[in-house]
Amino acid sequence: MSSSTTESLSASHPPTTVDVTMPQMGVSVAEGTVVAWRVEVGDRVAAEQTICEISTDKIDTEVPAPVGGVVAEIIVGVEETVEVGVVLARIATGADAGDAILPPPSAPAPGDAILPPPSAPEPGDAILPPPPAPEPTSPSGRRRYSPVVQRIAAEHDIDLSAVVGTGRDGRVRKQDVLAFVDANGAEPAEPPMHIESPYRPDPSPAPAAVAGARVEAASPGAAPASPGADGGGLSRMRRQIGQHMKRSLDTAATCTTWIEADMGRVEAARARLGVTALAFVARATIEALREYPALNAWLEGDRYTRVDDVNLGIAVSLGDDGLIVPVIHRAHELSVEGLAARIRELARRARDRSLSADDVAGGTFTITNPGRYGSIMATPIINQPQVGILDLEAVVKRPVVLTDPQGTDSIAIRPMTILGLSWDHRALDGVLSAQFLAGVKRRLEGVVV
Amino acid sequence: MTTMTYLQAISSALRDELRADERVLVMGEDVGVFGGAFKVTDGFVEEFGGDRVMDTPLAESAIIGCAVGAAVVGMRPVCEMQFADFISCGFDQLVNVAGRMHYRQGLAVPIVVRLPSGGGFSGGPFHSQNPEALFMHSPGLKVVAPSTAADAKGLLHAAIHDPNPVCFMEHKHLYRRVKGDVPEGVFETPFTARVARPGSDLVVIAYGAMVDVALEATSDLEGASIEVLDLRSLVPLDEDAVLDSVARCSKVVIVDEANMTCAAGAQVAALIAEKAFEDLDGPVVRVATPDVPIPFSPPLEQAVLPGVDRVKEACRELLNY
Amino acid sequence: MATDTAAPAPETAGDAAHLQLADRVELLRAMLMMRGIEERAMSLYRQGKVPGSFYDGYGQEAVSAGAAFAMAPEDRLCILHRDLAAHVIRGVSPTRILSQYMGRAGGVTRGRDGNVHFGDRELGCVGMVSMLPDMMLVATGMAMAFKLRGERRCALTWFGDGSTSRGDFHEAMNWAGVQKLPVLFVLENNQYAYSTPVNKQFAVDPVQRATAYGFAGVTVDGNDAEAMFEATRAARERAVDGGGPTLIEAVTMRMHGHAAHDDMKYVPRAQVEEWRARDPIERQEKRLVGAGVDVEAVRASVSAEIQAASVEALAGPMPSPDDVLEGVFCTGESVPLGDGRAPWSGFAGEGDA
Repeated sequence: MSSSTTESLSASHPPTTVDVTMPQMGVSVAEGTVVAWRVEVGDRVAAEQTICEISTDKIDTEVPAPVGGVVAEIIVGVEETVEVGVVLARIATGADAGDAILPPPSAPAPGDAILPPPSAPEPGDAILPPPPAPEPTSPSGRRRYSPVVQRIAAEHDIDLSAVVGTGRDGRVRKQDVLAFVDANGAEPAEPPMHIESPYRPDPSPAPAAVAGARVEAASPGAAPASPGADGGGLSRMRRQIGQHMKRSLDTAATCTTWIEADMGRVEAARARLGVTALAFVARATIEALREYPALNAWLEGDRYTRVDDVNLGIAVSLGDDGLIVPVIHRAHELSVEGLAARIRELARRARDRSLSADDVAGGTFTITNPGRYGSIMATPIINQPQVGILDLEAVVKRPVVLTDPQGTDSIAIRPMTILGLSWDHRALDGVLSAQFLAGVKRRLEGVVV
Repeated sequence: MTTMTYLQAISSALRDELRADERVLVMGEDVGVFGGAFKVTDGFVEEFGGDRVMDTPLAESAIIGCAVGAAVVGMRPVCEMQFADFISCGFDQLVNVAGRMHYRQGLAVPIVVRLPSGGGFSGGPFHSQNPEALFMHSPGLKVVAPSTAADAKGLLHAAIHDPNPVCFMEHKHLYRRVKGDVPEGVFETPFTARVARPGSDLVVIAYGAMVDVALEATSDLEGASIEVLDLRSLVPLDEDAVLDSVARCSKVVIVDEANMTCAAGAQVAALIAEKAFEDLDGPVVRVATPDVPIPFSPPLEQAVLPGVDRVKEACRELLNY
Repeated sequence: MATDTAAPAPETAGDAAHLQLADRVELLRAMLMMRGIEERAMSLYRQGKVPGSFYDGYGQEAVSAGAAFAMAPEDRLCILHRDLAAHVIRGVSPTRILSQYMGRAGGVTRGRDGNVHFGDRELGCVGMVSMLPDMMLVATGMAMAFKLRGERRCALTWFGDGSTSRGDFHEAMNWAGVQKLPVLFVLENNQYAYSTPVNKQFAVDPVQRATAYGFAGVTVDGNDAEAMFEATRAARERAVDGGGPTLIEAVTMRMHGHAAHDDMKYVPRAQVEEWRARDPIERQEKRLVGAGVDVEAVRASVSAEIQAASVEALAGPMPSPDDVLEGVFCTGESVPLGDGRAPWSGFAGEGDA
């Protein structure tokens, strides 16, 4: 089936080259040796014409030209052994319909294109270590938990060290953790919030510093190794946080005022909306700040600036790595559900260490919400250069006195919480603080169910 | 509805199919004049003739190969290996010709291979085998294993209607020992698993003769609520049912009468380890016949086949884990 | 006694009683098509375009062309790897065949199986497996169904000398004999099974085995397409009339290696040369030239068709991995084999052949 080759390659049909590759003569054959070339570069060849002889483990044979044209290149020399698929020679041919050109297959044939090497990871990618897993200890030594027990504990934010195991050797079984859940009425876990209270348990030595360092320092560098329980220095992260706290206490005239609020309506409404109490408190706080804008301000030295926008900071605990306060900018534009969504997102990004510098800048007021562990009051430290910080602790069922419209008193069981406001006496007085707190309380107790 | 034995249910299915569909052909050694080694086809040749209830030569490879040939020209052969063990003589035709035909050539092979399988009655190494895992491993073959009379009939109807090769593992031990209510006429049981008894503390996964063993072992075990899942279909394997049982019970015992290594239960265990890891409250425990040929003498045979006591013990231990 | 170099059956003039001239030309055409496709495929194989291994039936074209030519549309065929002419006669296009070799999406198995492991089920052909002679049992089963249903049709399968040593050969022969089935067993005795000559394969003349299983056996010159046709036609008649199976031993020679990677150095050159003189295509051409046929025109036409087919096949895409997991099971109705092309003039104006 040979054809006449074109005499010239026309300008409108630029020459194409076709590869001649080492064939695979048998399934197990992996290579072949060129024994002799029957053509030279520049020779004209017809399709199917033998152009070289090869030798393989199984058989010696000839290789035909796949196409008619001019031998453009001879790549593999005589006596050279190459792998199946390697290009032996190239034939140049004009892309003319008269040629017996066999069009290339639409997918690479065996032995065709060599894949580019996989790209190396970017040198700048930082790999951040995950926070260490909680390791509860018990008198009998280290405890192991089955996958389902860990899953249930995570879903309900349960400290497994508190669960009694009735399995073999005191193992915690699925029914044990489920029983614990039932007995304690734990709710699905919310993102853990930062505890600023000085009553916080002693932090375990911090590991390598992470994103929190961005808040304070210009460059996030690797922190020195954490010290052991026998002493040694604080981590860089811990020192920076400590400096911030100390500076705040040294700068501001910090006072704290508390008020009790009945969270009954909030509990009912949040169940319906599927959001946390914090979202309601945030919304109430924003409205109270609109009513008492003196608390939505910055005080730097003598310069006192009230800010129109409410950029609400939400303190997020990073476990042993410390804390960070991402900011919901223009929080006054968000509803309760919108605030809840933003809080969830910021907390997640905080724990993923993917907050940017903008995310933690520009806050005008901060809310901190430990809540989970049952503490009821704290004296939070103001986040400089703001002038107020609101602390939301646990919601606890208490017996309270209710007075009916006729003036008759009775005892009722209500979910109560104590809201604490630390405020800077340089910028405002106690009356304003109390009024502000009352405004938050009023709004929480008036939530539409 | 009629009460019938597992064996009668199989007969009933074959008879109903032969009556309803002229394409159906029963073929095997001694199935015609003799009525079958186990009397499954007793009386058939009188009703349907020796052509449709065919006594074949002693040639397992040919039985299956000819079934394939007949199937691709429009018949619905139901061939029988006298004992499941003898499938080894027809392995090539089943695995390479029947199983791989549709994938390669788009040509469907609607055959059923009935395989009387299992031990428990001193059959010895060549009359007691449970070879189903070999066919689970071979692409293109479906494998079903009923444990009740109703399922024996329904699965056999479904297998005969299926356009693919189906290995029908009928357990010899259940032939006359299992009785149940069986619907009359032609009906199909889907190739899915069945919860034989619902529970919540632990699930025993089994099939074939081991289902009754599991039910008996766990009917009254320290007050625990133990689920028994009857796989019924090995290919396709009802993954959803397995994962659902594990999600609810969190503790799993898998029982295989087949030799332990790479038995059906091994595949189920791997599936659970991969897809139900977070539901597990203990290791996935297997109770299986060890990797020995099934011995002949009763004390030896009873020692290796999983019985009620072994299953009970495994469940007890896992419950307390 | 063992067959060393099988002496072919006496040269027949070809029983032209049943063959019109057009039929005889068609026989040549089918053989030319087979050889041409295989030569083109071999070239493609050497260019790295045919993956895996490559098998051909060079020098044996008459065995499949002649036998397949005697098959009616409603008959069913199990075709083996050196029987490409059977596919051609039944109606598979050269484009699809070349695509099949190259593993393209347009191949008969869409890349699922390779080289000659294919059978177009719509044309009544069952694709072979590698275990030989498994397909003998499938053909026997098809014949069994035809007999059960009282249909005047037969099944035919090819298999090689080597495969007669395996159990399935004996099970098929026995079953076909004891049930007296309308199945034609075409034994392609091409003298070698890979490197094993027949005198290491069996201790008898293979055609004698038919008697052992209770039916007729006949030896035919496998390189005479018309003799092959006649033997098969006669056997078919016997079969559909209820006379049972026939073993047709087609004596021929494998002129190429077992596969493209085999240079057959173990075959004595003298044996090869002796058989080269009996090339089936040359013999048929000689006959037709004698009958005034323009053989060159036939050659040219076949050549052109193959060339066009290879261009088309090479342009076809490789199969997509997207559906590689599909088709393990049939999910719809099972469709039995369909009827194939049957160009013999004896089938025209149907009654039964």
